[in-house]
Amino acid sequence: MADNVTLTIDGKQVSAAPGMLLVDAAEIANIEIPVFCSHPKLDPVGCCRMCMVEIEGPRGSRLMTACTTPVAEGMVVHTNTPQVAEVQEANLGFILLNHPLDCPICDKGGECPLQDQTMRFGPGISQLVEPKRLKQKNYDISDMIVLDQERCVLCWRCIRYLEEWEDKPQLGLHNRGNETVIDIQDGQPVDAKTSGNIIDICPVGALTNQISRFAYRPWEVERTASVCNHCSVGCNIRVDTRTHTVRRIIGRENMQVNDQWICDKGRFAHAWVNGENRLETPLLRKNGELVPVQWSEALDFIAEKLQAVKQQHGASAIGAIGSAKIGNESNYALQRLFRSVIGTNNIDHRDGADVAGLATGLPSLAGVMKPQYGPNPQVDTIFLFGIDPSEELPILDLHLKRAVKKGGAKLIIAHPRKIELTRYNGPYLAYEPGTEATLLNGLLRAAAGQKEGLNSTAVSHLADVKKWTEEADDRALADLCRTDPAAVKAAAAMLAKSEKALIIYGPQAARGSDGPAIRDGLANLAFLTGHQDRLAFVGLEANSQGARDMGVLPDRLPGHASIGSSDAVKRLEHLWECKLPTAAGQSYKQMLDGGVKALYVMGADPASERPEWAEKLDGLDLLVVQELYLTETAKRADVVLPALGWSETDATFTNLERRVQRAPKAVALPQSRAAADWAILSHLAQKLGAKWHFADAKALEAEIGKAAPIYRGLTWEALGDQGLQWDASALKSKPELKEVRQKMAKGSKEYPLTLVTGTVLFDGGTLFGATEKLDGVTVGPVVGLSPADATKLGLTEGAAVAVSSPEGSLSLTVHISEQVQPGSAWIPESLPGAPVGALLNGSVVQRVKVEKAA
Amino acid sequence: MALGDYIKGAIDIGKAMGVTLKHLAEKPVTTEYPRDSVPMYPRFRGKHELRRYANGMERCIGCMLCEAACPTGAIYVEADENDPLNPTSPGERYAKVYEVNLLRCVFCGDCEEACPVEAIVLGHDFAMANYERKDFVLTKEQLLNPGEPNVIIRPE
Ligand code: SF4
Ligand code: SF4
Ligand code: SF4
Ligand code: SF4
Ligand code: FES
Repeated sequence: MADNVTLTIDGKQVSAAPGMLLVDAAEIANIEIPVFCSHPKLDPVGCCRMCMVEIEGPRGSRLMTACTTPVAEGMVVHTNTPQVAEVQEANLGFILLNHPLDCPICDKGGECPLQDQTMRFGPGISQLVEPKRLKQKNYDISDMIVLDQERCVLCWRCIRYLEEWEDKPQLGLHNRGNETVIDIQDGQPVDAKTSGNIIDICPVGALTNQISRFAYRPWEVERTASVCNHCSVGCNIRVDTRTHTVRRIIGRENMQVNDQWICDKGRFAHAWVNGENRLETPLLRKNGELVPVQWSEALDFIAEKLQAVKQQHGASAIGAIGSAKIGNESNYALQRLFRSVIGTNNIDHRDGADVAGLATGLPSLAGVMKPQYGPNPQVDTIFLFGIDPSEELPILDLHLKRAVKKGGAKLIIAHPRKIELTRYNGPYLAYEPGTEATLLNGLLRAAAGQKEGLNSTAVSHLADVKKWTEEADDRALADLCRTDPAAVKAAAAMLAKSEKALIIYGPQAARGSDGPAIRDGLANLAFLTGHQDRLAFVGLEANSQGARDMGVLPDRLPGHASIGSSDAVKRLEHLWECKLPTAAGQSYKQMLDGGVKALYVMGADPASERPEWAEKLDGLDLLVVQELYLTETAKRADVVLPALGWSETDATFTNLERRVQRAPKAVALPQSRAAADWAILSHLAQKLGAKWHFADAKALEAEIGKAAPIYRGLTWEALGDQGLQWDASALKSKPELKEVRQKMAKGSKEYPLTLVTGTVLFDGGTLFGATEKLDGVTVGPVVGLSPADATKLGLTEGAAVAVSSPEGSLSLTVHISEQVQPGSAWIPESLPGAPVGALLNGSVVQRVKVEKAA
Repeated sequence: MALGDYIKGAIDIGKAMGVTLKHLAEKPVTTEYPRDSVPMYPRFRGKHELRRYANGMERCIGCMLCEAACPTGAIYVEADENDPLNPTSPGERYAKVYEVNLLRCVFCGDCEEACPVEAIVLGHDFAMANYERKDFVLTKEQLLNPGEPNVIIRPE
């Protein structure tokens, strides 16, 4: 790195990196230069002229814009001369000429840079005698953002954000001169998934939050530093509350996680916290009806029933389901209760043991962000396997786009749909669900053919690899997987050539019985191409990583120790003062398929996933549901316990890069008798005769540190407001090559299409659906078809169809999309009123047919 | 005691009686409240009123500046968006909830000072006694001045 340059600003010596802009150098020296268009996260344009400073030169001093002028050795800068003050005042006078002075009704009022700068640098009086120019006010540029063109100061920040970060130029400047306005392009609403960030960076109230419109005043709200709970990126946010309700959510900077951005789901979908139909009191089924009861009655009933089932059928007839939407403390308490007090390993969560995951998540998110900020890229190639960050992890998507555009990273994508990120023209490997392992063998085969860039240890097994991947030749790839063999070769070559490739796969790619083969296939590929340290499994829920870390898995104890590990068993038996069960437990699916007689469900709703599970739940001896809302599963329960959710109780969440972060209590529910999940569990443990004394979440964190060595030292205080990553080095295993084979399901004539499912950001789930103002963007009950298949079937956009598989049938409307590959039908998960589980019925791969509705 | 003292005493009593007799004939300075009412200074600060415009629209735009200005936290405002077809106040925003807690209020007038549209005004009603605590929290309906639309602008 070149040496720093030294310059003088207002008589202060400042040392700055060469190329740094004067505004940033002044910031280091704590000298304020007022700006509108300049923003530390956006490229400079220098269009507002607010940042004028005097720079001394050979021919006297001149005024320059600090936001576009780089520092130079020996530069002498003045920011507080009378001339600068005059220019600042005149400039603000011009900006204010036509500004409507809406402050009293403007949501930016109280935190508005224009207000602040006018008070500090502006003229005291207006020079305009003519009427002000009128433009569009209260104009929706999407269902979430309101534009007021009169308030806009034409700083281009919104335009630049959408271009530089989202790579979606959806806003632009229209007309000229005095008539210049910001507007959407061709009448198309702004639909970038992180569009809400332009509200945060707009220096005036021209862009405001539709969902929180007029619901807050910056000086009236209490601010809580928290983390988002909609996906596993774990963006840092600030929750603004007033009178026990969440008023708005804005992004908070964490350079290790989300920079300062958050997605629109995280920002706007928060009505569920203060939803109307929240459960407020325990319910117990009496004569077939759920009736309100006291906590003691409900807990006594559960304890008695659990003991009865245990006596009659043994502990293995009892199971518990945790939740990746709930914090670490409660998940830990759940598995401890069932392991140590009940004595069973039947503990799991959705996408837990039924998905072949890896323990350690992404090496680091900052590594993906690095190409944008640092000189030493930590990744140069990113291979996404069966994961669609644009819909599933929007801020990861943002980082990836930036890594590609600014950092020159390359993208390889394998996905059954031609997802949005494929627009960056990396190799796209389409595949049929159910042929993943074959595709991976094909990739391995192509990689084995590379001359350079292979791992030297792995190369010694090359002959074996070639033998078992023989079948995955070009024909198999083209016919079975429907993947372009040329793209496979290109991808393999890129992986071999890459110095540091990151391979990411998601739960969609590794569900069901093929999961382990797919995981091994990926591990083979990573090992052979030398990227074994950068193979990552990422869950999709806010605490997917944490739920695994806490041991909410039938075969893993807290800290990812196997249930057979004598070290861990000894440690936990001592800590919990019990004898641990030794037999492996049942997975989520096995329990719901009828493997248990009594089920304790904490924050999960399996009944809405699959009709058959709903029936099975009805037949249980005991079903206890701990929930926020009366879900389909809760409606079937014998006892429903009202829980406090995210933001209502202190909790820690672990994101996809193993960063443990705090989500403190921000609102209280004065009318409600709901309790924190861990508190309910510890009362129940006491009823069952255990000695549990947890006063608060912090007490549980202290114990988690003892139970799971990887969490040692990660206490509430230590985490601070930026969180801490746990160290994965202890969990590294020696890489090896494993033979992988996949049994192919035969296609049938009757069901010509392969069902593709997955997550969409704006789904109809309980959390998102509660914000009614977002109904317009929610994905409806649709089936996506490729243009080719739609033509073949004679279907047009919006046609009503019946989609059926051998397992069941759904009524949906057709959506024709270029993303969907010919031969497949795309139905997202958790759409309002259309559980795709009705077609899958427990299987992972399913074939369907689409017919015009009668 | 000297004779002079007696005479001086008699004169003083006479003087005092004179004053008494003089006032006996004058009009009384006290007011028989509540039968009679006192004339009010124009800037007297009594119970709050929310004003309307001549067309009946509410002046208040729910900006919450009065709430911010109030030194005792007596005011509570919740704003909402006007229905464009049937607006409550001019512009985009109106006060959905407006409450003044008279038990907290110190009648300083900071709220009317802060109000950008002269919606909240301290009126001349000072008879605010009541029987229950909750009745001291005035709602928007109680505060809205139904009578004369748009007459008093800030008294100064
Ligand atoms: S809308 Fe806001 S961010 Fe966009 S140009 Fe106008 S002032 Fe700048
Ligand atoms: S990307 Fe995920 S964590 Fe971040 S704001 Fe969106 S939903 Fe929340
Ligand atoms: S008069 Fe003073 S104390 Fe009373 S409500 Fe107004 S600002 Fe508050
Ligand atoms: S009374 Fe005036 S200051 Fe108070 S909210 Fe209404 S408009 Fe704003
Ligand atoms: S901040 Fe420098 S020109 Fe706008």
